[in-house]
Amino acid sequence: MDHPAVRYVLIIGTAAFLQFTLITQFRIAGVSADLLLVVAIAAGLVAGAERGAVVGFVCGLCLDLMVVTPFGLGAISGLVAGVVAGSLEGATVHSAKWLTASIAFISSGAAVLAFSVSGALLGRPDMLSFHVLTVVAVVGLSSALFVFPIIRVARWADPEDALLRTAVR
Amino acid sequence: MASSRRGGRARITISLLLLSAVLLLTLDGRGSGPIQSVRSAVLTVLSPLGGAASSVASPFRNAWNSAFEQGDLKKENDALREENDRLKGDITANSIAKEQLQQLLQLVGIPFVGDTPVVHTRVVSGAVGNFGDRLELDKGSSSGIERNMPVVTGEGLIGKVVEVSENRSIVSLLSSGTFKVGFSVVGTAAIGIAQGTGGDASLRGSNIDSRQAVSVGAIAATSGLAGSPFPPNLPIGTITAVRTNEAALESTVDIKMFANLNDLVYADVVLWKPAS
Repeated sequence: MDHPAVRYVLIIGTAAFLQFTLITQFRIAGVSADLLLVVAIAAGLVAGAERGAVVGFVCGLCLDLMVVTPFGLGAISGLVAGVVAGSLEGATVHSAKWLTASIAFISSGAAVLAFSVSGALLGRPDMLSFHVLTVVAVVGLSSALFVFPIIRVARWADPEDALLRTAVR
Repeated sequence: MASSRRGGRARITISLLLLSAVLLLTLDGRGSGPIQSVRSAVLTVLSPLGGAASSVASPFRNAWNSAFEQGDLKKENDALREENDRLKGDITANSIAKEQLQQLLQLVGIPFVGDTPVVHTRVVSGAVGNFGDRLELDKGSSSGIERNMPVVTGEGLIGKVVEVSENRSIVSLLSSGTFKVGFSVVGTAAIGIAQGTGGDASLRGSNIDSRQAVSVGAIAATSGLAGSPFPPNLPIGTITAVRTNEAALESTVDIKMFANLNDLVYADVVLWKPAS
């Protein structure tokens, strides 16, 4: 139970459950928030790009199991979210809430674009329609909002990395 | 030094994960059995939870929709909606063939599928992701539903079954663009291929012989040509725009689907399979 991997499995399982049962019920312009993406971003922010990539990959696989898009697209998307969040966080020299929210927004946008571009390359050109802009906006804003409580959860899962990165900063 | 080593390890990890994702995409593209099995198993486990959550969240969802989508207020109850859909289906079918109308009036249930049996289902949850729209129905293989069967409402074709478990089915919506459907333009010899554009209930039709006179307002229905995964004469929608490329002798059209994909409550699975 103390190992970060076990804790992340619990977090990802809970996020997948909430995404499937609750989050998708509430949509703006047909688009819902993506809690699994927020978990990947939070892991990247708390423990760096590598951890973000691994957590994002697993989160994406969970999403892939629940949707009908090609299996693996969600994994790429989650991977991108975790890596971008971890890299941007590593490049910043100070911490601020607006900065964290901005990183969450940018990471989500990058993940959505990675998802739609990969889909288009795999023969789904419709995934690069104007609808993508709506998805980027809604998912980005919701991620910027949800990232703060999820960061607390990620710190619980990864206490050593969280402390180390805070100390380094 | 340590930072450089850590950075190198991170790059290797990320590269391996990326390769794994590409491998999964390749396996899925080849129709890997295990992936389909795992998806079906997950569906079996999560579906009852999703259905229950959908029921519990219904009042909150309606309030949310009222706040963000004022034009989509739920004014009709479920029974009235279903009846309304069925009447609209009658009107649409009327345009397909007069002879067929006589048959339609005698049939119970969704009329335009002729004597092909259908399974009446209830939509228990909507899309999970933000791409590749899908619906979840409350019946599955125990009711005779199989993959690739067409799904309709009283207004017309809405999609096809892509995943089936014993008591649940997942429908990929036609609007999502995840598959194509052959169509014919009612009253003409024009045929083409329609595909969703993602996001709303509009389709793009292509591969139409430009020598065929296709006009705005004409009705598109499934062609049911040999090899088509859909039976003929399922209403799809109304043609809203026609563009002709004289050089390529090809026309493309925009099609507005008849079926209202927002707040679907009921859908019928047509127990139809193409002749092998």
